[in-house]
Amino acid sequence: MPRYTIEVNGKKREIDAPEDMPLLWVLRDRLGLTGTKYGCGAGICGSCTVHIGGEAARSCQTPISAIGSERVTTIEALAAEGLKQAWIAEDVAQCGFCQAGQIMQAAALLGKTPKPADDEIDAAMNDNLCRCGTYLRIRAAIRRAAEIEGKYY
Amino acid sequence: MEDRGTPLLETGSRTVSAVLPATRRDFLRISAISAGGLVLGVRLGRAAEDAVADFRPNAWVRIDPSGKVTLTVDKSEMGQGVRTSLPMILAEELEVDVDTVALIQASPGPEFQDMGTYGSRSTRTLWMPLRSAGAAAREMLVAAAAAKWGVAPSACRAEKGRVFRKESHESLGYGELATAASRLPVPASPALKPKAQWRVIGKDRRRIDAPRIVAGESLFASDVQRPGMKIGSVVRCPVVGGKPKSWDEAKAKAVPGVRMIAPVSAGLAVIADDTYAMLTAREALEPTIVWDEGANAAIGSAGMLATLGSAFEGSGTPVRRGGDVAAALATSARKIEAEYFYPYQAHAPMETMSAVADVQAGRCEIWAGSQAPNRVQTDAAKLLGIPESAVTVHVPLLGGGFGRRGRTDFVLDAVECSKVAGAPVRVIWTRSDDTRNGDFHPISLHRLSAGLDASGQPAGWRHRVSVGVFSKMTTPDAEAVRAALRGAYDTPYAIAALEAELIESASPVRTSSWRGVQHNHNVFASECFVDEVARAAGKDPLAYRLDLLRREALVPGGREGAPVDRARLATTLSLAAEKARWTNPLKAGRGKGVACASYDGRTPAAVIAEVTVGAAGDWRVDRIVCAVDCGVAINPLGARAQVEGSVAWALSALSAEITLDRGRVVQSTYRDFPILRFRDMPKVETYIVPSDAAPTGMGEPPVPITTAAVANALFAASGRRVRRLPVRADDLKGA
Repeated sequence: MPRYTIEVNGKKREIDAPEDMPLLWVLRDRLGLTGTKYGCGAGICGSCTVHIGGEAARSCQTPISAIGSERVTTIEALAAEGLKQAWIAEDVAQCGFCQAGQIMQAAALLGKTPKPADDEIDAAMNDNLCRCGTYLRIRAAIRRAAEIEGKYY
Repeated sequence: MEDRGTPLLETGSRTVSAVLPATRRDFLRISAISAGGLVLGVRLGRAAEDAVADFRPNAWVRIDPSGKVTLTVDKSEMGQGVRTSLPMILAEELEVDVDTVALIQASPGPEFQDMGTYGSRSTRTLWMPLRSAGAAAREMLVAAAAAKWGVAPSACRAEKGRVFRKESHESLGYGELATAASRLPVPASPALKPKAQWRVIGKDRRRIDAPRIVAGESLFASDVQRPGMKIGSVVRCPVVGGKPKSWDEAKAKAVPGVRMIAPVSAGLAVIADDTYAMLTAREALEPTIVWDEGANAAIGSAGMLATLGSAFEGSGTPVRRGGDVAAALATSARKIEAEYFYPYQAHAPMETMSAVADVQAGRCEIWAGSQAPNRVQTDAAKLLGIPESAVTVHVPLLGGGFGRRGRTDFVLDAVECSKVAGAPVRVIWTRSDDTRNGDFHPISLHRLSAGLDASGQPAGWRHRVSVGVFSKMTTPDAEAVRAALRGAYDTPYAIAALEAELIESASPVRTSSWRGVQHNHNVFASECFVDEVARAAGKDPLAYRLDLLRREALVPGGREGAPVDRARLATTLSLAAEKARWTNPLKAGRGKGVACASYDGRTPAAVIAEVTVGAAGDWRVDRIVCAVDCGVAINPLGARAQVEGSVAWALSALSAEITLDRGRVVQSTYRDFPILRFRDMPKVETYIVPSDAAPTGMGEPPVPITTAAVANALFAASGRRVRRLPVRADDLKGA
């Protein structure tokens, strides 16, 4: 079994794993970082979203061998305090299970587009599913974090 | 009040050394505890009256000598906000800050025998007991302070966890008073605060668990870690009810980290050191399995539909409300008939079914995100042949419940895997496992007939429901039949002759509660049909409904006898109409639709939907206006979240279905069983009817009427009547 050195949440970690082992299971089973969730295992739902090299990525579709020297950030180490506070202020979460993925996706959007237009928010968030139906409040939280006026629920 | 650290999984390890006094005929009981302080046991729920002889509290309010307030409750948190709203109720009467109430999730045991979280009933059943408990504790603490100061209780007041002596600067903290208070009698009827003095109830309050959720720290069953834990899953036959006949485990066992392949009740268990090894082994194993597909191998959706249709030829179980429907239909000036179809639906929660079990000699410990922890305890004990008392069940957060987590199948997977592995095992269902082995909303066909008199009023109404259920009722009792016809027998309109009839067929796949339950299909059919009837009569569908709600007529009974209050429903419907500006016309290609119902006779609600339909039959929902009368809305912010969630649930139902082919569930993931996406979420406006009535449930009532209102709006926009779900573009094309 090959050994990989990857940087997760600012720390170098040595992992013995098969080359095709998805980052999702490396994070959850090897590193105990369970904030990143398994939802579908097929890159459809977005529950497993993390940042790889600052970009939102589906950890269930990213084998450990593909990470190389890119820095991995998970919800546990996400620095976007303003976004998290906006999430609390807009009372977004219901069951909470998909929310880490939603927040990681939103943080990546705001990192690139600090004041996204509605269609940019749509495009960024459309592949992150939530069965509780928190979408309106996710939009409101993103707008609040971006300091754009207007509520959507 | 957020449970910082670990107490989420605490089992409620109170030391109850005495129960005093022994003869009270109510649901409050004081308990002395060895460490001092005050503990009030509360009997919640239906069994409150039965619990007198053998008083077993099922919620605990505890005030430690340190002043810490702890509430132990038996309701599971699955996103409905119960961990926020219940402490609000207590804090209001106890006069403490909500944030100072620590919440402990109960585990099944002698004290907690009715832990089910379903049926939108948590708030409804806990409202009075929690208020009474808070008020009783407050009065006892005040009495203890009054005794200490040698003044009358009326010379004292409670505020923010302290008792103050009026007209002086003296005060004592609840912690200092708790032990003395515990020696006082429990007030027979503690005085509840009048509404005018409420400062917590009815005010928006954000979810207490949000800080943990945004930090990625909230704990679900699929996150539970135990020393030496293995990861397991059970491969089930793709045909429901089938069993593995033979398999070749060589390749699967060669995957590094795989521990065992073992037959268990539900199929073949694959147990490994980590999730990826388990998944890799499954991929190697599954193609080698030869299945005995059993009795369902030929079953398909087309056949099921034919079965439901031909079942109409036979007789069902009628629930009549009155009048001679046959005569009314035969003599009516005009008769209207229609058939509606509602498909199988999957719960598809974001967290797939998962549980952790640790089976050891003579005992078992379980972590399960369950809506029915007592059922988990019972079923696990039965499976293992050990007493229920030897099974400990912890309830972490649920990654969506919606009815699915009332079953114990996924928990028993973990129990069996742990038993064969001799180690703690976390079982995780794949998305495909979860979709294909669901506990589906049942498939149903509806035949409706209405007879209109010369003025266009309905003189007779018949709703026949042919529904595929997993366990047919062999000896249907009246309440069970009524439950199956929820939303059909309690059609709220004043119609002189009305009949609803239940016809059951066996379903090859399991069916059970799915957010909105029987109301989903029954209300979809009846609220769309009443729209058809109104239009046939040449009337505005909203005015037609209001007219039928304002008439003096029969009073239909809701579930458990709760009457449908037509006046409240009419008020709610009028509010929705006003807010939605019902009479304002929309541009061509757009339309408005309305639906209303009183959920179980308890929660009147109305929805007005606005939609756009394109020339190709493409459609979208633009706006939902929902008015609801849920009694006192304890946390309006949470109530609005429930409406938004209900809307998303209903809109998903308009676009997805579960189908069967050769005994197999065709869909396997969110791609072929799509749920509503971000871009498709409409604007949702919620209006809560001001009310002094006791709170009712909010988790489900908007669901069925949203589906119907959208279908009615699609008709208004396209001229095409949607009588089967999911809605297909072809059904609306050429508008």
